[in-house]
Amino acid sequence: MLGEFEYLLLSAAARLGDGAYGAAIRRGIEGATKRRCSIGALYTTLDRLEAKGLVRSWMGDPTPQRGGRQKRMVRVTGKGVQEAKAFYDSVSRASQGVVWATDRARGLS
Amino acid sequence: MTHIGWSLVSFLARALERPERDVVLGDLAESGAGVGPAIRDLLGLIVRRQVGLWASWRPWLALLGVCGLAGLSLSRIVFRLNVDFYKNYVAHYGTDLTDRQEMAFFLCMAGALLVWSWTCGFVLGSLSGRAVWLTWSVFYFVVLDSAWARFVLAGNIILRNPRTHESPLDSLHGTLGLLMAATLPLTIAAALFLFPALFGAFVGVRSRTLAVPHTYLIGSVNVALAILTTWATGWYDPAHLPAGWPEVPWPVRLLPFLLVSWPAAYLLACTLPVGSHPKDQTRSDMREP
Repeated sequence: MLGEFEYLLLSAAARLGDGAYGAAIRRGIEGATKRRCSIGALYTTLDRLEAKGLVRSWMGDPTPQRGGRQKRMVRVTGKGVQEAKAFYDSVSRASQGVVWATDRARGLS
Repeated sequence: MTHIGWSLVSFLARALERPERDVVLGDLAESGAGVGPAIRDLLGLIVRRQVGLWASWRPWLALLGVCGLAGLSLSRIVFRLNVDFYKNYVAHYGTDLTDRQEMAFFLCMAGALLVWSWTCGFVLGSLSGRAVWLTWSVFYFVVLDSAWARFVLAGNIILRNPRTHESPLDSLHGTLGLLMAATLPLTIAAALFLFPALFGAFVGVRSRTLAVPHTYLIGSVNVALAILTTWATGWYDPAHLPAGWPEVPWPVRLLPFLLVSWPAAYLLACTLPVGSHPKDQTRSDMREP
């Protein structure tokens, strides 16, 4: 089963689609969690997910915005999608009937 | 970020492998982070990468095998060469050996120290990869200081100023002198160890393996030197032992030379199986799918 940060990373990468790369994923995670995401945590987790076959990464084109340096592009694999869905389902099931999830559901309706 | 700040960040990033360095520096440039957060982020990644290197057995073998086993033996050889050199050429203590025998002994030991240091350095670099800065530092201090430390702790050597008979730790000047002696290669034997070991580690990190003919050459030279030094100490040791002491048997004399030669045996063993040596933490597959 995925860890929390692994799920956040997969979700951010999946949301970004073809535009998923290190810095963009980091912004996505920070936006979703309202917490700082360190580069160390990002890239070591990315390596771990790649070793598990949940993402694929490759070197992208350099851009002037990055001082002519390359990006590490990321794509979530089919196995990654399955794992993220399994994690989400588990969290949803585990959250049924708990007070914070009920309050949130009421607020949304 | 200021130019100086960016230079500092770029310098620190050299601890990362080239592709990752490029990506991380690009990310930092894109994020527009200040020097402090950028350095904190970078150091976090460097520490994680360094810790990750130790998940493999290779740096551990370098630390325990080369720094520990071979380093301790090499330290004894460095120490012995220093002491014998001092006795013969500085203090001019008389021995029962001829000038030619003494010269042959020193040349043999010096040559062996050069070759063993290079071989140990190479295997250390080859096994450690990017963790070499740590393993090499440990190796350096083990070789330079472990024999001295052992003799001082055992009470065989008493540290004191020959003129004033004071302990060097009693004065700032003495403490600094001791610190310099413990950290800098101030003797001929230490220099004979340092430069080949440093060069060997440099080559080992870059190429990881030697060509088969070079490995056989290194293995043969190591064996020849182990035999020669064992033989040379055979006529050198009795000249130094107090009268009535039994001669040191040749297997006992050979043992430290065998211990210091194991990296050559490791290199030879690596040539036996046909296969590749994976580079640690190197992503070979970084192409777009």
